[in-house]
Amino acid sequence: MRSAEDDAKTPEQSFWSNWSSWEEVDVQNSLGHDPLFVFPKDKLVEEGSNVTICYVSRSPQSNISCYLEGVQMQGEQLEPNVTVFNLNHVAFIRETGTNIYCKGDQGDSIKGIVLFVSKVLEEPKEFSCETQDLTTLNCTWDPGSDTGLLKQLSQSYTLFESFSGKKTLCKHKSWCSWEVAPESQEMYNFTLTAENYLRKRSVHLLFNLTHRVHPMAPFSVLFTDVSTTNATMTWKVHSTGNYYTLLCQVKLYGEGEVTQHNVSVEVDGEQLFSGLEPDTEYRAQVRCANANHFWKWSEWTHQNFTTAEAAPSEAPDVWRNVKSVQGHSVVTLFWKPLSKLQANGKILFYNIVIENLDRSSSSKFLSIPAPANGTELNLDQCSYQIHVTAHNSVGTSPASVIIVSGDPGNKEVEEERVKGTEDGFSLSWKPQPGNVTGYIVEWCDRPRGPLCDLQWKSVGPTTTSTVVSSDAFRPGVQYNFRIYGISTERVPYLLEKKTGYSQELAPSDNPQVVMSNLTSRSFTLSWKDYSIESQPSFIQGYHVYLKSKAGQCHSGSEKAVLSDDAVCCKYKIDNPKQKTFVVENLQPESFYEFLVTPYSSVGEGPHGAFTKVTTPDEYSPILIRVILPMVFCILLIMIICYLKSQWMKEKCYPDIPDPYKSSVLSLIKSKENPRLTIMNIKDCVPDSIEVLNKQEGTRKSLTETESSKPTYLYLLPTEESYSGPGPCICFENFTYNQAASDSASCGHVPVAPKAPPSQLALLTSPENLLKALEENYMNSLGEIPAGETSLNYVSQLASAMTGDKFSLPTNPPEPALCSEYKMQMAIPLGLASPPSSGSSSLSSFTLLDEGEHYH
Amino acid sequence: MSYPLAQLCLLPLLLSPLSPGAPISPAEPISQAYSLALYMQKNTSTLLQTYLQYQGSPFSDPGFSAPELQLSSLPPAVVSFKTWHALDDGERLSHAQGAFLALTQHLQLVGDDQRDLNPGSPMLLAQLGAARLRAQGLLGNMAAIMTALGLPIPPEEDTLGVVPFGASAFERKCRGYVVTREYGHWTDRAVRDLALLKAKYPG
Repeated sequence: MRSAEDDAKTPEQSFWSNWSSWEEVDVQNSLGHDPLFVFPKDKLVEEGSNVTICYVSRSPQSNISCYLEGVQMQGEQLEPNVTVFNLNHVAFIRETGTNIYCKGDQGDSIKGIVLFVSKVLEEPKEFSCETQDLTTLNCTWDPGSDTGLLKQLSQSYTLFESFSGKKTLCKHKSWCSWEVAPESQEMYNFTLTAENYLRKRSVHLLFNLTHRVHPMAPFSVLFTDVSTTNATMTWKVHSTGNYYTLLCQVKLYGEGEVTQHNVSVEVDGEQLFSGLEPDTEYRAQVRCANANHFWKWSEWTHQNFTTAEAAPSEAPDVWRNVKSVQGHSVVTLFWKPLSKLQANGKILFYNIVIENLDRSSSSKFLSIPAPANGTELNLDQCSYQIHVTAHNSVGTSPASVIIVSGDPGNKEVEEERVKGTEDGFSLSWKPQPGNVTGYIVEWCDRPRGPLCDLQWKSVGPTTTSTVVSSDAFRPGVQYNFRIYGISTERVPYLLEKKTGYSQELAPSDNPQVVMSNLTSRSFTLSWKDYSIESQPSFIQGYHVYLKSKAGQCHSGSEKAVLSDDAVCCKYKIDNPKQKTFVVENLQPESFYEFLVTPYSSVGEGPHGAFTKVTTPDEYSPILIRVILPMVFCILLIMIICYLKSQWMKEKCYPDIPDPYKSSVLSLIKSKENPRLTIMNIKDCVPDSIEVLNKQEGTRKSLTETESSKPTYLYLLPTEESYSGPGPCICFENFTYNQAASDSASCGHVPVAPKAPPSQLALLTSPENLLKALEENYMNSLGEIPAGETSLNYVSQLASAMTGDKFSLPTNPPEPALCSEYKMQMAIPLGLASPPSSGSSSLSSFTLLDEGEHYH
Repeated sequence: MSYPLAQLCLLPLLLSPLSPGAPISPAEPISQAYSLALYMQKNTSTLLQTYLQYQGSPFSDPGFSAPELQLSSLPPAVVSFKTWHALDDGERLSHAQGAFLALTQHLQLVGDDQRDLNPGSPMLLAQLGAARLRAQGLLGNMAAIMTALGLPIPPEEDTLGVVPFGASAFERKCRGYVVTREYGHWTDRAVRDLALLKAKYPG
């Protein structure tokens, strides 16, 4: 044990006494009854110190292990029940201390200590003092790490000034204020002392107060006399005594430029700025420092100002687009907004003067409000000179002059292809021999849009190439450039046309192909609607792919393997304008698939769906060509025959009358007159025809001579008896089918049933015949309308016997008009023999059934 | 967030035994005490884990357990089933009453210790404070039960006495461990005590 004197005034000097003599203590007795003790309790050490830990156990046999934060420590046994552990360079683990504990292996309680390891107190760094107003010193430093612990407060700082002997305890860890002595002490010698439970650290600082002046930032920064190009800046500085001069630094930022000025100031500062741009915002800042003993610059003080507007300095860049609509010129004027440097202020409006060059007296004036960048003019076919000026609040810009010629002068210019890059299109053109005041390159940023977004670029007369770039350029879009020369008369005329892609892309669409002329050996493909202008690259031609099962390619095609490993024949068409193709050398009745795709320098179109086609049979077209007309002809003939069947029948195979099948025959048989026989037709010759006129209600007196005297009709009509086309009279053989006769031209002259000529021949007189008829056909006659005419054949012989008034001609003339006589065909001799009565009767009934009913 | 809510819930429990004049039925205070004990039981292991986490090794080591550490001033909750079962209602309530009385004082002590040892751990301090309040609430409920059952209420005693102030930091860490551990054990035992009573005096 020893002692020392502690004097705050002399912290560096400590005078220790001599050590006391050792005393021996019996640990076992001094401790309590616990089985285990660990020492030292709650020890506070600095990081990196060497610490010795020991434990004392009551029973020496106990096997005790000790741990530091879970890691077993290797100790040194001093006595059977005392063990020490030497810890070197202990580390800081946490502010709440490091646990060290010991534990017996027989379920004894754990015993331990907490070792508080603090960080080492550091010397204050960057200790510095300065003043802003010469009344207060502000001292600052970097305190380093905090050494505060549970067992120890954070370090404290004390400021001691040796000349005045004053001392102050700083309230903050990193700075302290010091009141400057009123007696104008110039020199200061400070000692800053950091102190904690374990250690003290000090730093010293000696300085002259006037050399540590850090002025406050200037204030009241103002701008006066601000014109278009000049401005004056004034500011004030805080007073630091009358005998100090300040050096001030002024910086001016504007339009990307910085200018700097140094000004010596006592109270007020002033700086003139010149050569400024009109209508431009500038930012000025100022800071000051002690001019005699520079210590530190003050903080900056900022202020902005804007120069006054001036008239626009440049003429607007003007271009036009001329369209002819119904004999008028629609001129769209475009101009680019002036840059900030050119505008010299806010452009308010644009004035346009349109001067007719052909009639100098008439000119037109337009004023367009400012945000507009173009206008549309409707002009006639005269030439016009157009002046465009931009106006701001101060004045007018120079005029931009452009001439719109009455003659559009759209001379044909060959279009040339150019290759674009990502950076734009590099265009060059031939220099013009005449006087050219400049060139203009014109294009559309959006050529596919409804508004093409016309752009132009003006270059000087000596330039014959330029690079056109635009953010609007997209890959796969064709851009057209027109290069105009501007003559000295300011008339633009087209020089060259260029077209190209900023980047060519493979065609995205295949043409819509129409297939025609399909034969067994070939078919034709055409894609007339395919527009090569709207493709994403210059189309160089087409590939026609043809897939077939045979897999053989004929000349003119080559084998190609598609992406899906399908093999097909590829025909190449080199001309992009050829939009038809004939696929030949095909097999009949074969299945083919084809695809037409365009190709360009960057590839070909998508291999989309193939179109399927099957070639027809080789012979079927020929057969169809022959059979169809034949079938048609046959059908026509059949229809005609059907329609004219009756005529045909009469012409070609008329029915042959058979006397043996006459109904008269059965009539005769029913009378059972054995004497009556059928006269052979060849035995009699008809010579006259008797016509009977029937009167209404006189059927019963048919036999009376007065009322029913037979009238003889002459076969040759006379002038008296023939009175033009009247009721037709048909001479008919009764063996004809009555129904067929009715449906023919005689239909409107119904006749009563008559006896055939052969039967008439049996009757010696008309009276006899009428009697016979009357008896048998009374009923049927009642059905015949009254007043109609009955015809009977009268044989020539009978007629002669009855004493005819007229002599009948031997050769009867042809029947006139619709009167016709159905000729009887000569019956062969074999057929003239009378048939059996049964068959005759049956035949007779059949005929009668088809005709009028007699039963 | 849960602590203010828990304290609000405790308010009627604390007040209930104090309300005079009501007909005394043991079922209601038993039910209230049982509910509170169940609620406390849910939080005891969290309190212990939070406590150990802030004490450093060996306490914060996974699976730390030192059953041999005891406090003479705190009655142990561990009891054989036979002994526990042989106790009558009055004895059980009396034991629990005594234990929670000691626990409230010890939890106050541990809270003070940790304010020194772990000043930067407000969560631990809040949990210790909440546990102490709940222990006090349970004490009040038990007093109400004993009143309802007509049992004598043991007088409050100063279980801590003058012992603990000279303890070292490590001893205080150990003490806090024993208190938070025993708080859990006694809460478990109280749940069983009260469940038995609840079965005996159904509401």
